[in-house]
Amino acid sequence: MEIKIMKNILDRNQNMANDVRALLAEKKIVMVNIISSPGAGKTTLLERTCEKLAMKFRIGVIEGDITTDRDAQRLKKFNIPIVVINTEGGCHLDSHSISKVLDSFDLDNLDILFVENVGNLICPSQFDLGETFKLAVVSTAEGDDKPAKYPMIFRDARAVLLNKIDLIPFTNFNINNFKADLFRINSGIPLFEVSFTRGDGLSSWFEWITDQIS
Amino acid sequence: MHEIRIAEDLSAIVLETAEREGLAKVTRVNIRFGQMIQVVPDVFEFAFREIVRDTVAGDAEVDIEIIPVKMNCLNCRTEFLVRDNLFACHNCNCTDLGIIQGKELFIKSIEGE
Repeated sequence: MEIKIMKNILDRNQNMANDVRALLAEKKIVMVNIISSPGAGKTTLLERTCEKLAMKFRIGVIEGDITTDRDAQRLKKFNIPIVVINTEGGCHLDSHSISKVLDSFDLDNLDILFVENVGNLICPSQFDLGETFKLAVVSTAEGDDKPAKYPMIFRDARAVLLNKIDLIPFTNFNINNFKADLFRINSGIPLFEVSFTRGDGLSSWFEWITDQIS
Repeated sequence: MHEIRIAEDLSAIVLETAEREGLAKVTRVNIRFGQMIQVVPDVFEFAFREIVRDTVAGDAEVDIEIIPVKMNCLNCRTEFLVRDNLFACHNCNCTDLGIIQGKELFIKSIEGE
């Protein structure tokens, strides 16, 4: 006997993501799901962005980490609401974990909520969190082949930050190859070439993210 | 690693359905994955088998159909399969595209007795 089901396997995640998205839309909060490999610079991106924008916008952060609250510690100095989700081995956040921690924020006093996903380029891109958009962060030290090897996230993201451009002279990273692969996958995607530690390229990133909030 | 989570959610659907339909044994699970989901079939099947061990689906075969990525051009309406990650219309080179298939994560059916 064959029983037809025809159902999305991740239905439960998708339904909860839809609820989260509706709630955030009602509260006029932009949620950014930041996805990258470990060590690409997600937390440093948040440090630089909070330095520049925490006075101007009401920022909240959800820190997804397999274990520890080290990333959250680095952001403490900005006096913004931060909630840590330890996935205890899980390689991605899901919409249920986001929904649970939203109660910890004062949603009437928030403009933008950054979600730092677990460092991983594949798994997080499959799980809708209810975000307004995904942001991909990649660093030159990882090599120029990331778009070609992980096309899904580069297809789904609204923008890409290429970090550590100051390290290019010390690596075999070829920026032309990187761009060619990226634009094959997503031709019009905004690309910011930055160094979060040295400060290169940050003004256009600040301008862009400000436009997304306003 | 997302294979494990997908296998968990799949096993819940399979076991719920088997119980509702009064199946004593699930012999086959038919699923469909789009290529963009980047599931490794062997890893997925291994995870699923571990999760359903000692259940009515413990001996079920897993049939995974992988669906290639197909887009349509929003400009000239051409439909084409995406090859080598090139997301541009094969006819007019336009990059304004809609997805037709390739992101599926579907359970089609289960078979049993």
